[in-house]
Amino acid sequence: MNKYGICFVLIAFLSASCSLTSEKPKVYTVEIKDMKFMPDDITVKQGDTVVWINRDMMAHDVTEEGEKRWTSSLIPPGSSWKKEITSTANYYCSIHVVMKGKIRVQ
Amino acid sequence: MKMIKMLASSSMITLALSVVFTATSLAQSPKLNDAEVASVAVTANQIDINYAAVAKIKSKNPDILKFAETMTNDHKAVIAQAVALVTKLKVTPKDNAVSKKLMADAEKTKKSLLSKSGKAFDRAYIDNEVAYHKAVISTVEGLLIPTAKNAELKALLEKVVPALKTHLSHAEMVQMNFK
Ligand SMILES: [Cu+2]
Repeated sequence: MNKYGICFVLIAFLSASCSLTSEKPKVYTVEIKDMKFMPDDITVKQGDTVVWINRDMMAHDVTEEGEKRWTSSLIPPGSSWKKEITSTANYYCSIHVVMKGKIRVQ
Repeated sequence: MKMIKMLASSSMITLALSVVFTATSLAQSPKLNDAEVASVAVTANQIDINYAAVAKIKSKNPDILKFAETMTNDHKAVIAQAVALVTKLKVTPKDNAVSKKLMADAEKTKKSLLSKSGKAFDRAYIDNEVAYHKAVISTVEGLLIPTAKNAELKALLEKVVPALKTHLSHAEMVQMNFK
């Protein structure tokens, strides 16, 4: 292998590791505060994780709204719950049914 | 005062509104101190827990029962916060004209609810929840928050308002099923 070859391999390796870092799943935070999901509309990539933190004095939950495919169950005040996101979903709090949020998978 | 009392007996909604009206007029003279503000706040929350307890006995409707459960847990959480705060501030909640009026009116409403059953009960309960949350929101925003002197007490009252408004929207949603 000549020195151009080594250089090529090096660049290929560097760019590969670079793109690997950018594909690494991200963690997003949704605060539950003053009876609202903040933000109430979030766009993520498949495999990213969303963490919901309950900052209110009362318990909440995070439940998929359509077919109740998933739910956090009760999130007590000060606690949090996380989920790896696999698909777009409308969700709500089944305790306070008027509290709603949305996750979009890009 | 006499006229307010006459209005209060006419219906549940005017009763709820007159609580606010009376509370506001009482607020001008004499003014409530923080111990009295705390008492009104705790009483107002306790009343809704009492209504929920009646619903749990009388209703079989899942939406009503779920709403009542939420009211029980949330208003208990508010009372717990209020108790923790007054304990920290070394203030003892003190009965006063406003809290006594709230409790007396609530006893009448409770009696009226207990006399009903089935769908008529569910309708009366949820109608009262809508009216009561509207009245409490007005009392908290119009009387308790402006009257509270201690900053932490004021902050706690401000933090309760979004919960009350969410309860009101939730109650209105359940109410739609009984129209
Ligand atoms: Cu909730």
